[in-house]
Amino acid sequence: MSTAEFEEVAMMESDLLAPRAIAVSELRAENVSVWFGKRKVLENVNIDFPKNTVTALIGPSGCGKSTFIRTLNRLHELIPGAALAGSVLYEGKDIYSSDIDPVHIRLQIGMVFQKPNPFPSMTIRGNVLSGLKLSGMKRDNHDDIVEQTLTAAGLWNEVKDRLNHAAGDLSGGQQQRLVIARALAVQPSVLLMDEPCSALDPASTLKIEETIRQLSKEVTIVIVTHNMQQAVRVADNTAFFLAQEGEPGHIVEQGLTTDIFGQPQDQRTLDYVNGRFG
Amino acid sequence: MAGVRTCGPLASISLGQHPVMANPDLDQRDLHSAATSHRGDRVFSRVVTGAAFASLVVLAGIAIFLGIQAVYAFQTEGLAFIFSTGWDINTDPPTAGIWGMLYGSVLLAVIGLAIAVPVALMLSIFMVFISPPKLATVLTNLIDLLAAIPSVIIGLWAFYILNPPAEEWQALLNQYLGWIPIFENTSQNFSGTPFIAGLVLAIMMIPIITSISREVLSRTPPELVNAAEALGCSLWTMLRFVALPYGRGGIVGGVMLGLGRALGETIAVFFVLKLTFETNWYHIIESGGGSIATLIVSRFGEVSGPEELNLLLAAGFFLFLGTIAVNMVANLIVSRTGRLKK
Amino acid sequence: MSTILYQPPADPALLSQPPQRPWRHKPRSFTTAVALAVIVPAVITAALFFLSPIPGAIVLVVVYFPLQLLASGIAAWATRGVRGIADSVIIVNAIGATVFSFVVLASLIGSLIVRGLRALSAHFVYQNSVYISPSTPLDYGGIGHALIGTILVVAVATAVAVPIGIATAIYITEVRGRAVPYVRFFVQAMSGVPSVVAGLFILTIAVSTGWFSQNAFAGGLAYAILMLPTVARTAEEVLKLIPDELRTGALALGSTRARTVMRVVLPAAKTGIITAILLGIARVIGETAPLLLAAGNNDGTVLNPFGQAIASIPVYIFNNVAVPYPDAVARAWGAALVLMILIAVLFTVARFLGRGRVGRAK
Repeated sequence: MSTAEFEEVAMMESDLLAPRAIAVSELRAENVSVWFGKRKVLENVNIDFPKNTVTALIGPSGCGKSTFIRTLNRLHELIPGAALAGSVLYEGKDIYSSDIDPVHIRLQIGMVFQKPNPFPSMTIRGNVLSGLKLSGMKRDNHDDIVEQTLTAAGLWNEVKDRLNHAAGDLSGGQQQRLVIARALAVQPSVLLMDEPCSALDPASTLKIEETIRQLSKEVTIVIVTHNMQQAVRVADNTAFFLAQEGEPGHIVEQGLTTDIFGQPQDQRTLDYVNGRFG
Repeated sequence: MAGVRTCGPLASISLGQHPVMANPDLDQRDLHSAATSHRGDRVFSRVVTGAAFASLVVLAGIAIFLGIQAVYAFQTEGLAFIFSTGWDINTDPPTAGIWGMLYGSVLLAVIGLAIAVPVALMLSIFMVFISPPKLATVLTNLIDLLAAIPSVIIGLWAFYILNPPAEEWQALLNQYLGWIPIFENTSQNFSGTPFIAGLVLAIMMIPIITSISREVLSRTPPELVNAAEALGCSLWTMLRFVALPYGRGGIVGGVMLGLGRALGETIAVFFVLKLTFETNWYHIIESGGGSIATLIVSRFGEVSGPEELNLLLAAGFFLFLGTIAVNMVANLIVSRTGRLKK
Repeated sequence: MSTILYQPPADPALLSQPPQRPWRHKPRSFTTAVALAVIVPAVITAALFFLSPIPGAIVLVVVYFPLQLLASGIAAWATRGVRGIADSVIIVNAIGATVFSFVVLASLIGSLIVRGLRALSAHFVYQNSVYISPSTPLDYGGIGHALIGTILVVAVATAVAVPIGIATAIYITEVRGRAVPYVRFFVQAMSGVPSVVAGLFILTIAVSTGWFSQNAFAGGLAYAILMLPTVARTAEEVLKLIPDELRTGALALGSTRARTVMRVVLPAAKTGIITAILLGIARVIGETAPLLLAAGNNDGTVLNPFGQAIASIPVYIFNNVAVPYPDAVARAWGAALVLMILIAVLFTVARFLGRGRVGRAK
């Protein structure tokens, strides 16, 4: 067999072996560069988020991970001075094309923030349903939605008797799970999470990681995290972001979590996952 | 301190200077007085404390001096002073009833609020959520400018420039909508009506209410706004479920502060309202209305004797009571909701 | 299967993409809808304006505004569905409120300038009103006496309100006694006192005690009641901005509390205090009712604040309004213009000083 034929067979075999290549890409960023005013903060980000997987975005703080995920649900443009280039494809279509309603995108691609932010003036039940009210979605099975989303978020048993209590009375971890339920109530197919556990205690963190693993069977999840052990625990794939001084950030290396942590190719990745910086 | 406006005519009503809504952390500094041990310091401390109570003294003074007059008025007129209408200086003692004025002041304030609150609210929503930032700054300065215009100038403008079109509008209102009771007008005289006076009051209240509402709305926690945006909100749903519930207390407080100003407004109303002693209950585009503050000023020049002067002072006492009460309720509302939000 | 490393794109165009804002590109349908929503009501209103007998401004407001609401609602419904209608209603109303306020302000300032300039002249500023009757032409007479009166009244008010106001602020921030919340409460309450009540109060004292009658002193006292809360609160804010290190440093050097305040804190807050004073003056200088009651009026120039009744600019304006002689009315506008200029100058200087202070206070 010639070298070329050998390589071709090797590629086909590796294609068959790599589960990632078979999974359908749901969300994909192609050559995304991001600016705030004149300052370029992200450069040529290319990444795939296959359906029903969990992808972790890791890297030292300030390298643009949070900014990047905000381009995925069109929250970035709400910041004054924001600009970008490239395209974000959701189910094959560029979400930035002029005939797409950003509200529609945000319903399909939900977001959970770092600091739990339930609406303090609403009850627990009110919070879960608030996404429906805010976006104008009409559903008539409110009780089912409340129970299903709170169960999926792992909070149902703890609050089922006090759905009409104020949301502010819950602990931090509970509030964050409430926020997850709220995000799920509008039935997104992608859930973006920006350091969802960094403001929480370890016990709540583990509960939420458990929730994430369960959720990923139905929902594609992208999670930004500073906690590398967390990435190992929950993520199928990982992308390592880095920004040198004064330079825009970019993805240094991405792939299966086991590969990124086990056999990274780039020295910087190796240093970061071994805690030598960041 | 975020939100403190120490410049401009609305500085005195910025939330940042409010006794409770201002940042309390600065008050926790622990430098308290070992210094009172020094004799000079004790004197200093006493002098300063004494001066600080000047405001209490003045307020008490006003209450007492004018209150004595009110007692006098009750002695000569009885309760009829409050509940009847009329001002007859020919009888001895003069008979007077200020009900028309009391009611009139409230009516004018209500009309003013009905116009000012929607406009001010919409204006503040525009400045915080819709307009580009540079335009918002320009608008803030323009609103400050409006607040700085003294009432005598607004009265001058209203008398010569606002009156003619206002009379036309009211005539039209009467022509097409005259079947609605409040728009009835039998005399076909459309000058000096409560409506015009209320409109003038509205113009004076708009800057106050706008400034406070704008401050409150711009303090909506950004994480809540982010949460709403991520859930696909529209401008209306964001306002309805996030911004307005948060700002409700402050906005109500601002409205009440504006109300307090409207109740005490004298000169601008003097120029545009025809003072009548018969209570004008609801014919707002009919000529004639009442206002306590304007009564005092208009009768003052021709006061016939000490008895009449005392009656005017008694009327002033009720005006004082009313405005202080409104002010206190306003502060209570603002401070209570302010504390909850913390 | 191994990891993927970063590779710059092969196509140089992709490498140097310029920043874009794709969210600003609205589909054609959107822009046409908005354009229609703006143009159609305007056209209809213009047609009615020119063709119908209904007077102009009314048509503009009563016809245009509802039409605009309707058109925007339809446009919003066509482009964004039912959800968009509420938004369009809010946006149209918000823009309407802004335009309304702008029109009112423009009318106020415009009329002040246009009508006031007619009476304004050099002699207007320094002559007084003795021998001037409402029908006297504009070549004679002026507001000189009123200017002096206002200056005297403001001077008395400042002399009374500023020390007390600053003392109040010192009590709150430096002495920090137990009564601080009460003092702040009373200062706040005092700011709600209507100007006519302040005038009445001073008049009552004057009349019942006989100590004084209507004059600049009485007027100044009435003004002081209105000025005190502004001065006290602004001074309090200013003193709070002075960093503690200044105070502790002075005390550590053996200074007494009193000397720390007088020699260290107050001088450091100098510009802020001046701002507080200017704002207080600007707040009261246009008040008419207190002076009507406590200072009266005078056609001639009075220089003694404890003497007789005295003129002032607001009272001058007041007396010349609703007088059926156009020259008298012109004088009122002229005086109003002068008053507004004074106020504008006060606020501009206060703002200018305020900016400098923010830079230096740290």
